[in-house]
Amino acid sequence: MARLEWLEGYGLLLPAALFLLVFVLYPALQAILLSFQTENPFGRGRAWVGVVNYVDIWQDPRFWASVVITIRFAVMVAVLEVVLGLVAALLLQYAVPGIALFRTIFFLTTAVSTAVAAIAWGWFLHPVGGLLNRALETIGLPPQGWLTTPEWALYSVAAATAWQAIGFNAILLTAGLQDIPEEIYEAAKLDGASGSVVLLRITLPLLSPILFFVGILALVRGFTAFGQIHLLTRGGPSEATTVWIYRVYLEAFSNFRFTYAAAEAVLLFALLVILTGLQFRFLGRRVHYG
Amino acid sequence: MKIWRLTPLYLLLTVYSMFILLPLLSLFSASFKTAHEVFDPNLIPLQPTLENYQMAWTKFPIGRFLLNSALVSISVAAGQVLTSALAGYALARVSLPGQRLLFGFVVTLLLIPGEATFLPLYDLVTALGWLDTYWALIVPFLATPLGIFLMRQFFRSLPQDYFDAARIDGAGHLRILWYVALPLARPVLGALGVLSFISAWNMYLWPLVVTRSTEMQTVQIGVNMILNEEAARWNVVAAGAVMALLPTLVVFLFAQRQLVRGITLGGLKG
Repeated sequence: MARLEWLEGYGLLLPAALFLLVFVLYPALQAILLSFQTENPFGRGRAWVGVVNYVDIWQDPRFWASVVITIRFAVMVAVLEVVLGLVAALLLQYAVPGIALFRTIFFLTTAVSTAVAAIAWGWFLHPVGGLLNRALETIGLPPQGWLTTPEWALYSVAAATAWQAIGFNAILLTAGLQDIPEEIYEAAKLDGASGSVVLLRITLPLLSPILFFVGILALVRGFTAFGQIHLLTRGGPSEATTVWIYRVYLEAFSNFRFTYAAAEAVLLFALLVILTGLQFRFLGRRVHYG
Repeated sequence: MKIWRLTPLYLLLTVYSMFILLPLLSLFSASFKTAHEVFDPNLIPLQPTLENYQMAWTKFPIGRFLLNSALVSISVAAGQVLTSALAGYALARVSLPGQRLLFGFVVTLLLIPGEATFLPLYDLVTALGWLDTYWALIVPFLATPLGIFLMRQFFRSLPQDYFDAARIDGAGHLRILWYVALPLARPVLGALGVLSFISAWNMYLWPLVVTRSTEMQTVQIGVNMILNEEAARWNVVAAGAVMALLPTLVVFLFAQRQLVRGITLGGLKG
């Protein structure tokens, strides 16, 4: 009887275990192995070279430039996503007439995929036809090459990336706000607390775990954003938007330095493990059952 | 008096809405403009035309792109829901030797991001001969540690009495799973399905590297193709993007409530 139960249990685990072992664990271990190898120029094989790739990376200014760009980009994306998501969620707390319509609009970007968001922003920021430059002209400001000048491009792509995710973040933060017990607000009201005091002393502290969760999620999204960059700038102009993951892609599929790219990916992996680990600690603490 | 106090709120709501809507409205507007008019700043086209849609639709297999995306996303979502439910149940409700260890293993896998492993995965898929097939787009994503984690947490939260009662009636685990646990888990399964679907629909890097032919491309990569080939005609690019947007937009508008509930459940309450 007991043995039968084991069998049943392992049987239920089998499909998931199979896929995870083959398509998650094996590639992860393989990534590390690949990073210690190099392409054999005379055959199709690869040869073990130890830490050569890592030494090369250490001395590769273009890699470090991409790391700096990535950190700036990820921080911009995370700040925009958290602030705008929070603003949306707070505005939606007011039960005024027509709020359902605004809620639909605020959550709308959840329905917009990466590629469509990139096209919409590509057009919005278009130097000639774009609405933003036309608006600037009407108020007497000079039009800008939002995606074509190195100074602006990273900000523009960050804005497009954050814009696509704020609908989702607004949903998460709205749920978080609804979890705050009504009595606390009523008590504060009885004490005569002003709106800003309630926001700073009650809402934000009680919302902080979910804000933290959304922030880490946004940071990870910033560190791994690829589609928007591939569609909007191709890493340019003059590598101003060549972020880490884009460099990995270029090294592997344009420069055909597959194992070198793998080493760059392993380093990104290490950074993401730290970030996801933080997020998971939060998730583990947050999700409680009986 | 009350209107007075609400005005700033409505002003903020409107400004924020504009921030969300303007890029989309401007895209819609461009998609109906003639080549002659496309660079004019007016949002309402003076001579609206459907020609761009016709051109995008006949030049690019947009229907096929959408079908590919739908097929891939539905398969991935269904697969993840199924494997997660089975494994989550086993980890939560069957007494297994090494159960804690297995769960620890699932938790560890949560730390591995797809972006870090796509190169060896590409090698693997190439070796399997799956490049440019649905297999490459679907199979690697049929199980997810996050899904297993969420399902396990949910199944653990169910009262023991339900399971004891079923046991006394002589039901095995498969029957209990099917008749007791899964019906109770419907909201969580829905949440997981929605999350899996959205993330599969949004995949970009992976379909970009494993698809070659136009017939196999998902809508994300299809949009990239339209942008590359029609960069001089933004009205056609816009029409292509609008067609790529419409299915998910319609689903969102009709299923907004469930979608939102799904995301909040899946994201927070498991």
